[in-house]
Amino acid sequence: MKTRDQEYREMFMAEALEYYDSMSRHLSELERNTDAGPALNELFRLMHNLKANARAMGFTDLGEVAHHLETLFGLIRDKQREFGGALAKVVFTGVDVMGTMIRAIGASQPLPDATALLDNLDRLVRGEAPIIDAEEEAESEEEAGKKMELSDLVYIQVKKLDNLLNLVGELVIDRDRVMTLAQELGNPALLATAQHLFRISDDLQYSVMDARLVGVGVLLNKFPRVVRDVATAENKEVELILSGQDVQIDRNILQIITDALLHLVRNAVSHGLETPEQRQKAGKPAVGHLTLSALTDREDVLIQVRDDGRGINTEAVRKKAVERGLVSAAEAPKLDEQQVWALLFEPGFSMAEKITDISGRGVGLDVVKLALDSLGGQLRVESELGVGTTFTLVLPTSIAVKGALLVEVEDRPYAVPLMHTDTVLALHPGQLSVVGGLLVTHFQEQAVPLVPLRQLLYDEGDEPLPLATKDNLHGTQQVLVVNYNNRRLGLIVDRFIRQQNIVIKPLSKPLDTIDLFGGVTLLGSGQVCLVLDVPALTRLFLAKRA
Amino acid sequence: MAQSVAATSTAKPERAKPAELVQLIVFRLGDEDYGIRIEQVKEVTVTPEVARMPKTPPFIKGIANLRGDIIAIIDLEERFRLRPAGRELPERSYTVAVEAADYTLGLVVREVPRPFTLPLSQIEPAPEFVQDSSTRDKYLEGIAKLPEGGIIIVLDMRKLLTPSEVMKLPTKTTSS
Repeated sequence: MKTRDQEYREMFMAEALEYYDSMSRHLSELERNTDAGPALNELFRLMHNLKANARAMGFTDLGEVAHHLETLFGLIRDKQREFGGALAKVVFTGVDVMGTMIRAIGASQPLPDATALLDNLDRLVRGEAPIIDAEEEAESEEEAGKKMELSDLVYIQVKKLDNLLNLVGELVIDRDRVMTLAQELGNPALLATAQHLFRISDDLQYSVMDARLVGVGVLLNKFPRVVRDVATAENKEVELILSGQDVQIDRNILQIITDALLHLVRNAVSHGLETPEQRQKAGKPAVGHLTLSALTDREDVLIQVRDDGRGINTEAVRKKAVERGLVSAAEAPKLDEQQVWALLFEPGFSMAEKITDISGRGVGLDVVKLALDSLGGQLRVESELGVGTTFTLVLPTSIAVKGALLVEVEDRPYAVPLMHTDTVLALHPGQLSVVGGLLVTHFQEQAVPLVPLRQLLYDEGDEPLPLATKDNLHGTQQVLVVNYNNRRLGLIVDRFIRQQNIVIKPLSKPLDTIDLFGGVTLLGSGQVCLVLDVPALTRLFLAKRA
Repeated sequence: MAQSVAATSTAKPERAKPAELVQLIVFRLGDEDYGIRIEQVKEVTVTPEVARMPKTPPFIKGIANLRGDIIAIIDLEERFRLRPAGRELPERSYTVAVEAADYTLGLVVREVPRPFTLPLSQIEPAPEFVQDSSTRDKYLEGIAKLPEGGIIIVLDMRKLLTPSEVMKLPTKTTSS
């Protein structure tokens, strides 16, 4: 495996060479038509980007040349210099030198000396005539015969990668079926081939998924500006700390959570962090700290937004939730901290006292939950009053394959994504009690309501669930505890089948309107298995709770 | 009208106006024969294993894997309330996969469907008296009278397959 450094270097190289090519092209155009404004602007931009990239990678010499050329193009753009004559000659030499430098970087060779060029560029900037020696001129004649190179990187549309990923998904399903068939038939040659196919398609799947990964930094690096703008608008002082930009994640997942992250960050600055005066009064440093970090946790990627602000005022949220009708006044006091915080992400909930430009329009945090639901992700909230709040987005690395637990209800298999499962329990009737018509068990010092999955799936109509009794519970109950939005729910199933990786296919029309199912997957046997959508299942349970 | 134009304007009337033929896939629902134009049919197959899908009306039998496509399987006998009492679907039934603009649907039938060719002129618009019998009239293209007696009810799948139509729940029954 290549190291990150190597990969960055290659990306820098590819980009720099591309810049170099466009520069040469734009220079030629500028030579033909000195008034070519777009070409001039483009040259200025390319120089600027190359300068920034080169400096970031530590290639200061290259950065210097680009910087000098950028200055010169700035002058040309401002009509203080004219492109042509000796100036054009020096500029062409300059771009060629940069090309040589970029190639030297690629070959890990020392960079050529550019002092003479830099001096000449300085002279031009000062308005003096450059010194061009004959030897150098002769050398540049040879340049006409120089090699042509193609970049080592290709740009590819995400759509094409999506297509590739779908095809691999299909392949994996068929592979599993071939494997199952081979095992049933017991032909050794077939079995060996099937195993080989298995390995190859595994590698292929991994490669396709790998090709879609990008650094989280692609997104995180956009935030310094956002934070600055929000902080200015809200009169706050904020220091933003980024970390984990190298953590790899599927590009489409990053795309889907962009808005969610934007909302969380804006929310942290405008609601989380206090004004400098308030902070000082509370004995905190005037400058608030906001940390945006990404880290990997086994199969998942965690993106955290942490502030050291005022923390969530649980009681205020509780009160607001009652005002907004999200919970009844009777129900509200029974909710614990986590359950109250979960209300922040209900549609239409907003804690802002005043309406500002940045936040508090009553839209916001519910987008976070929608985005996470669509990915099968999770949201964790930690907060301490006066100390700060941390929102953690738990995301899958890749969308294609998900770990799932297969359970059986009435002889049919159902898949539950592992992302939403907490634990499995085998409970004997003594461990169950009936509270207010609901079956409840105690798990990790928390009362977890239980419901037979059969009732949620097969009971028709909108009637509430029948009152639970322990009479028709016989023997040990198999319970799958799922977790959504900090709410636990125990699903009683007939049995657990196994855990396995599944490729989820979306339901096609006209059945895609049933939100209880996140899709279907084909098992190795070719059997169709519905994938349960835990958020929708939890909502259904809450709606039908007597 | 068209015939008179053809007779006067062209030298080869017998070639200019061949009887336009329609190919149908014909199957039985209850005790009636139904047909669908062949161009709306993707394939006919022995019904694959159908996974029951909770939260759907009873006429949706479930979903099945048809060569990698997951399609909904629909029971038109139940949809049109044509099922004779005590005559459940046989163990081995057949599925006519019909294609809509952007998805495929399976219609489960009890006997092997058969192709049938007839002139378009034999299909007549549905008469008034069936219009009120059930929801089915909305999907009718017409009724074909066969020379040897008997009729085929021709369905227009494009009207049947709109998602809102497929998903429309039957009015609440007294039970459950």
